[in-house]
Amino acid sequence: MRKIIAIALVVGVCGLAAAQEAGTPPQGMRGTPANLPDISLVGVIDGHTSSNKADDTRDKLEFNEVETAFQGYIYPEMKADVFLALHKHGTEYESEICEAKVSFLSLAEGLSAEVGKVNAEFGKMNKAHSHTRAMADQPAALTNFLGEHALNPQGAALKYLLPLPFYAQAQVGAWTAAAHEHHVEGDNTADVLDVDQSTVTVVLAPEETEDFSPAGKLYTARLNAAFPLADGAELELGVSGLKGKGSHWEHHQDNIKLAGADFTLKFWPSAYRRFTLQGEYLRLTRDVPVGKLKRDGLYVFGNYRFSKYWDLGARFDYAENAFPVITYERDYSLIATRRLTETTTLRAQYKHINLSGEKTDEGWLQLIFGLGPHSHEME
Amino acid sequence: MKKLFLSLAALACWAGAANAEIKVVTASSDLKYLCERVGGAEVKAESLASGGQDLHMVEPRPSMVFKLKKADLVVRVGLDLDMWVDSLINAARNPRLFYGAAGYVDASAGVPLLEKPEGKVDASMGDIHIYGNPHYWLDPANSKIMAGNILAGLKRAAPDKAAVFDANYAGFVKELDEKLAGWQTRMAKCTGLKVVTYHGSWPYFARRFGLDVAGHVEPRPGIPPSAAHLDALVKKMKAENVRVILTESYYPRKGPEFLSERTGAKIVTAAVSTGGGKNVETYLDVFERVLEELCSK
Repeated sequence: MRKIIAIALVVGVCGLAAAQEAGTPPQGMRGTPANLPDISLVGVIDGHTSSNKADDTRDKLEFNEVETAFQGYIYPEMKADVFLALHKHGTEYESEICEAKVSFLSLAEGLSAEVGKVNAEFGKMNKAHSHTRAMADQPAALTNFLGEHALNPQGAALKYLLPLPFYAQAQVGAWTAAAHEHHVEGDNTADVLDVDQSTVTVVLAPEETEDFSPAGKLYTARLNAAFPLADGAELELGVSGLKGKGSHWEHHQDNIKLAGADFTLKFWPSAYRRFTLQGEYLRLTRDVPVGKLKRDGLYVFGNYRFSKYWDLGARFDYAENAFPVITYERDYSLIATRRLTETTTLRAQYKHINLSGEKTDEGWLQLIFGLGPHSHEME
Repeated sequence: MKKLFLSLAALACWAGAANAEIKVVTASSDLKYLCERVGGAEVKAESLASGGQDLHMVEPRPSMVFKLKKADLVVRVGLDLDMWVDSLINAARNPRLFYGAAGYVDASAGVPLLEKPEGKVDASMGDIHIYGNPHYWLDPANSKIMAGNILAGLKRAAPDKAAVFDANYAGFVKELDEKLAGWQTRMAKCTGLKVVTYHGSWPYFARRFGLDVAGHVEPRPGIPPSAAHLDALVKKMKAENVRVILTESYYPRKGPEFLSERTGAKIVTAAVSTGGGKNVETYLDVFERVLEELCSK
């Protein structure tokens, strides 16, 4: 018996010494070593019913998006993340590179860079992939000013954690974004009232029914800071700016500026409970040869996670469109989310849309599932 | 404008003020305790998660990035329990803390693991941890290995203080061994005690103190209990005379209360980390309190 104890002691001490002398073996060294990236897939199935009978996408439950991801380190402190997606656009599926970027995680203390196709950090929500959002759709202001599927141009961004006694990050980016393809009728013009009440003639073009988004050469900047208000409460504030052209610049010659301010207040009263209040305000300025369009948009989103498995949320949207003939949209949404596992979520959303007096009620159902290790930068 | 620049410069100087202490950021409050024991006065440790949080579900916050930005050492639980730490390390851009760097410590290194899955692993098994069960700190004997990993990290950060750290480590091990012997003596009368646990968090604890885990409130890790599962568990508990339901303080009460009402089993609600409950001020208190509760059943 003594021998067994002595051997156990020797083995234990040797094992401990080995653990100490060898330093810390990395986590990935457990199990069978494998030189593979993290490969994952996220699927989004959704559908909605609508009181608008002209909505030809209603009453269908379909695969809306499939996102595949390949993620891993390509060099010490250099990471590659490639997200490829199949999206449903109207009745067609289109493949696209959602994001494909290389991150230089530490160029110098506090300084990092990203190059490639990236969800630009404009405001709080544009960066987030749709499947990570706590809602089935995106706020109307983001759709109207940044595009239907987030603004993700090609280029580079530099981010710097400011040497201040609280979290503060400044970043700048230079990008190129593809303009939307569309067919323009050359004589499709209209006389509209400018901001100074004078009448100007502008090209209407089919963009009235197309997306607007920033395009061409874009420059972005963002400053955000966070302040812990207590052990379980944190406030984040941010301002963003963007300068570039509109997605139909070749016809409208519109130089654009987009300014934004956002806040996020989070409060964690217990292990699984969390209250979130988030808002963004955006102002778009389209400078066209015949005048200047100024448009505003905002959303306010409140969410209460009241248990490990359930969230209840509400959102108010206000958004003007980006086009010469202005519309005003006011939406009210109620959102219930049930988390089935860490990677699978079921969501129901009611949305009341008031688009310049035209009212629509919608009911959404969304199922999001994940396969494999999938991660995103901290949002 | 000049005033603004001067103010920013003053803030930057304040933020960058040098301090001789080794700044350590840990994922859990237990790791913080161990860092403080091994590092002593040379260390200023902060935990990202509080003792009352479920380490599977900690939400990264900007203030955590700020802590890591200034840190000399990060100590994580590992085994995919605290995957949220990765995004924080990347966001902090602190070259000392990246994977494999001198300031990166995985406390699980060298811990003999239980419940390592074999073969195909997928979500049909629930939220399973592919490297093995990550709740290893609930065997107090494993804390010697965890503290050993921390010791190695601290020596890398401050080699000149190695003798101090070695002495602190030896002091901790001595105290732990004494406590462990006492706990095992206390638990000897409960050897073979059958328990149902909420989550599969207790295999290391059960092995150390001779408990028999008869089932879990969750049908699979991370999956909420269904009525059918609870019914089956009631039958099993009655058949096997399971008298204790052991659950973490943060898990929902509904399932354990349902079982307790139907079987008469008592619910032992345990704080599983330092600071996670009343009179659980240290890592050693975690075991004092749980054993106290279990032994009184």
